[in-house]
Amino acid sequence: MLVIDHVSKIYRVGGQDFTALHDISLEVEEGAFMSFVGPSGSGKTTIINLMGGLDQPTSGEILFKGRSLAKMDRNELAAYRRENVGFIFQSYNLLPVYTVYENVLFPLLLNDEKESAVREKVRALVDQVGLSPEINKKPTELSGGQCQRVAIARALVKDPALVLADEPTANLDAENSYHILELMLKLNRDFKAAFIFCTHDEKVTKYVRREVRLEDGFVEWDKTKQPEGHFS
Amino acid sequence: MIFQIALKNFLRQGMRSFLNVVVTALSMVAVVFNLSLYNGFQDQAVRNMVATDVAGGHYRHSGFDLLSPMEWEDQTFQTPGVLTSLPATDKTEVLVLQGQIFPNRRLFPVQLRGLEMGQSLLDLPFQKLEEWTKPVEDIIPIIIGKQMAGKSHLHIGDTVVLRWRDRFGAVDALDARVVDVVPLINPRIDEGVVWMRLDHLRQLTHREGEVSWVAVKQFQGEVGNTEYVPPNELLKDILNLIEQDRKYAIIIWVILIFLAGISVFNTQYLNIFKRQREIGTLMAFGMAPSRIVRLFTVEGSLAAFSAVGVALVLGSIIFAWFQSVGLDVSHLAESQIPIRENIFLKIDPIEVAVSLLVISAIMIVVAWAPVRKISRVEATQALRGRAIT
Repeated sequence: MLVIDHVSKIYRVGGQDFTALHDISLEVEEGAFMSFVGPSGSGKTTIINLMGGLDQPTSGEILFKGRSLAKMDRNELAAYRRENVGFIFQSYNLLPVYTVYENVLFPLLLNDEKESAVREKVRALVDQVGLSPEINKKPTELSGGQCQRVAIARALVKDPALVLADEPTANLDAENSYHILELMLKLNRDFKAAFIFCTHDEKVTKYVRREVRLEDGFVEWDKTKQPEGHFS
Repeated sequence: MIFQIALKNFLRQGMRSFLNVVVTALSMVAVVFNLSLYNGFQDQAVRNMVATDVAGGHYRHSGFDLLSPMEWEDQTFQTPGVLTSLPATDKTEVLVLQGQIFPNRRLFPVQLRGLEMGQSLLDLPFQKLEEWTKPVEDIIPIIIGKQMAGKSHLHIGDTVVLRWRDRFGAVDALDARVVDVVPLINPRIDEGVVWMRLDHLRQLTHREGEVSWVAVKQFQGEVGNTEYVPPNELLKDILNLIEQDRKYAIIIWVILIFLAGISVFNTQYLNIFKRQREIGTLMAFGMAPSRIVRLFTVEGSLAAFSAVGVALVLGSIIFAWFQSVGLDVSHLAESQIPIRENIFLKIDPIEVAVSLLVISAIMIVVAWAPVRKISRVEATQALRGRAIT
């Protein structure tokens, strides 16, 4: 589904070139549940951003279903993200003035869906992430775990092929982290969307079926494994 | 869709939106108030002069100039029959000559104004002169305005020596009694002016049937050797003065609009600065930068249009209150501005509409200008809150 082909990314920081990724090549299959792990500065977030079309590689290319992201203009990249990619952020990035329901609904409105046509779908998804009682609350009234559940529902509501999660458990305690991971795993099965994490949280790595370790922008190893986590 | 989202954002931003709207609305009210006050000022000054002096124009001796007192006695004329025959509601005969009074033994040069009795064209409170129907014998009844009374230290009932020169050049003097001190809304006919009956002034100066001018309700066509001076000409100096003031009003208008614009610009700039992560999130959702620019511009525009609505409500309340109390500008009478009472607003609907349109247009531009930055923002930087510094 997603091919990363000899991708390098160089940033210019303080007049100096900093290579965040060195000639990375790998493939992500449909329905994957995988993570990029590694220490800070290893290039995890950079690769997630490149896959999401938020940034462009310095060299090499990323192909989504055979189409190069590098050849897309800003509007095409926006459409790619709108139609195919769901994002989950470390600090949730919920829209503060909107309720849980409205936050989840928002990506569908961007796809020009009528609210009346998707109302039930949004409610069902909110229910699936266990937030029905909080559906009319605003993010400021929710706990961190609840906010991340909203973010997950929001990422999945448009049935994306790809969900990119940047440190999704970094702001959560252990119990909430496990709940969130279980939820994502379940949704990965239900929705068939590929979940790609970047994390240095070991709890996440217990759940994934594939783990890619980055070190200073290089792939140190890429292994497929049997998940160790608990499954509900 | 953009509008719905913008409306929701605008309404949910609470205090931030409210303050933005209130500041803009107050600026709009201030702009319109300022213009309306000048309109009211001009209107009232002109109305006062017309009511007490100018009427619908003057028939004068050609070359007569009120500012050349040495020539007054040479520029009188016999009232033409066509003007004499006009009803009292349509004309007032006035004779103006030089004179002196000696209050407290000090010489005080005055303008002696003889006013035709029974006239109702000019709004002058001279009943006490009307009631004095006897010819002049040993005392001359006079009326002065309050300002003149203050300057000359004269009061009702005081007697003062009045000196004049008749048409043959002979100087004469007699006691004059102040029969009334009246409030005159036009200081130009107050300070330095001694009012008396026209028949008395004619009798004292041997100028039977003579006038300096005849104020008329409207133009009567060419009349004998007289020259018709229209109201605009008679009001020229005050209109020029007001026109000059109007330029200052426009400067204030521009400053107020500029301040309102800066306020909205600042709010918008802060808005996008504080909402960088939100902008980044919108980009991650797949919202094209141009749509985000549109979203923020619509939000800003909503503030502008809401401000118009609030300004209309707020303005109506403030204006209604102001019209009930007015603004005391009596101090201006000292500078010969013909207003001594409170002034009120005169609202010109076209000016109001133009002001609101101009302000709204500026608000939309300043709502859009800062958010243009968004179109150049990198999503990854925006998500970190580092795209706009």
